[in-house]
Amino acid sequence: MTYPTPDRRRVLAAAALGRNAHTSGEVVSGGVHRRGAAPAYGDAGVSAGTDEGTRAHPAPVRAVVGEVRDVSPHLIIVETPDGHEERLVIAPWATAWRGAKIAPADLPQGAGVIIRTLRDGKVAEQIWSDITRITGTILSIVADGKDQVVELDCGPHRGRRSIRIPYRASGRIQVRHPKFEPGYLFDAIGVRGEHGAIAYLPATSQPAYRATAVPSPPPVYGGAQSRLSGAVTWADTFDEEEHGASYPMLERSDTGCADSEISCTGLPYLSLGSMLTIRNVCADRSATVPIVACGCLAGRFCDRCVECDTSPRGRIAELSPISFVELGGDLTKGCFNALVGLG
Amino acid sequence: MLETIASAQVFVLALLLLMGTIAKIATARGAAEPGALARLGPAVLVGERWRAPAMYCCAAGELLLALGLIFTELPIFRWATIAFFSMATYVLLELRRRRPDVGCGCFGEVSARPIGLRSIGRTIALTGMAVAATWSPASVLSLLIPTPGLSWTLLATGVGGALLLLAALSPELEETIARLRYRAPCEQRPFPPAAGLARLRGTAAWRAHAPLLLSEQPTDIWRELCWRFFSFPGRTPDGEMVDVVFALYLSGRRPPVRVAMVTADGEPVTNLAESIPVSA
Repeated sequence: MTYPTPDRRRVLAAAALGRNAHTSGEVVSGGVHRRGAAPAYGDAGVSAGTDEGTRAHPAPVRAVVGEVRDVSPHLIIVETPDGHEERLVIAPWATAWRGAKIAPADLPQGAGVIIRTLRDGKVAEQIWSDITRITGTILSIVADGKDQVVELDCGPHRGRRSIRIPYRASGRIQVRHPKFEPGYLFDAIGVRGEHGAIAYLPATSQPAYRATAVPSPPPVYGGAQSRLSGAVTWADTFDEEEHGASYPMLERSDTGCADSEISCTGLPYLSLGSMLTIRNVCADRSATVPIVACGCLAGRFCDRCVECDTSPRGRIAELSPISFVELGGDLTKGCFNALVGLG
Repeated sequence: MLETIASAQVFVLALLLLMGTIAKIATARGAAEPGALARLGPAVLVGERWRAPAMYCCAAGELLLALGLIFTELPIFRWATIAFFSMATYVLLELRRRRPDVGCGCFGEVSARPIGLRSIGRTIALTGMAVAATWSPASVLSLLIPTPGLSWTLLATGVGGALLLLAALSPELEETIARLRYRAPCEQRPFPPAAGLARLRGTAAWRAHAPLLLSEQPTDIWRELCWRFFSFPGRTPDGEMVDVVFALYLSGRRPPVRVAMVTADGEPVTNLAESIPVSA
């Protein structure tokens, strides 16, 4: 007997149903296999970023996570969480974000960064520094001078979080959060600071209902559900270099969480360890990622992503930042339209 | 009389081939985009990029046979229909052995339920009907034109009887009735784990493997779409410690159950009783 783990589940399910379980794993991103990040599963039913394989694959994207050791206008040196040093050339068109767009050379030493790279991870194209996503239910709002301090309930797995909305960002955030009062949902993107997170950008248009009044999914007609279409977002509750997703429709007995099994879109039941094939239809990239957490809060958002087109209502999954970037997502935009299937 | 009943089979075969064609084209068009939740039909046995072409190819074959049965009286289409359904029976048997989680895809996405004896029985019945159809000299088109020797009552009885037999052998109807009752596809319906465990304990697969289990309480229970998995600690007759995993399909009155024994290093253990056929 072995201790039950998501990896073990994949092996057992594959044995029972005659699938191939690739426990050593490959992930496909932008049509290129990359080793060792997360296991592929099932048929390894991974599309290479195009419908029929006839169009050209988009250039592969690799994300690098770490801490800035040194930066100049043309070179950035980053120490990754496993202690390696990555030296990346900064592309002439590259930009950085740290609460606002800045020149990459202005990044402070010691700042945490996630970098979208090109050319096998040698050229930095886009840098996000100390970026964080603040998603939760508003518990209280307290004024602190001209700023506002908001206490959020970020779900049973993430606990409570206190964030600051600076005066200069409050108008931009509140215009997308018309119900800026306790009991309603909040979703913003900001920067991790010494004294907590600071919100700068709204990540969505706030749903008009209270967090406890999530609409029921629409009735399903027609045949069996063949694929899911909707918005995929990101969350920063994953480990730094973790590839994975959180998914709302996990059984409560599986997650030990009373807030799962809630979604305003008709999602099928899956479990921790199931593999999702996610295709970013905006960037035409696909990847297979494991479900590693419960997306209790994602299921409460019945919003749409308008990244490249208007998506159907509802969030299907939350990705880890590195998976989100490698699928071609822009962390400051917060979502992309996706087609999701079982990997 | 026998000729009229045989002619009824031609009518039913042409109808089913046309339905299969339309359903397969609809499924293949949908499957052009990646992200399918369920994988259907023998197309899963080929590579990802060949799946849609394989379904189109199958649909084209069915359409050709249907048109042949509708417009011509040529024996080649009758014999080709026999060959088609015989091959379909073999393919379903092979698919059931190699990918027990996959639906037959006979009628596209409606046929998502794992292949069981009824699906296989249906293709055998269709093969039999195709054999019977060789006795009919008429095409479907000629059946629609009133002729002196043709009894409409007998023809309608033949068609009705064949359709009833096929309906009884169609697992798709069961899922359709469940959808009418619950208004949600199987993968979206909640099923309590305890109820699934109770159901599992009533199956033949459980009784066959119960002596190997070290505990009747599962170490892990999880669910993926319409499948509920139960993992138990077990020991093979050779004394090797294994995990015995049961996969229970959550829809239908007599749900399919799959079992596997897996060692700690992830290797499936072949059950000798299953691998060596009993010949005496």
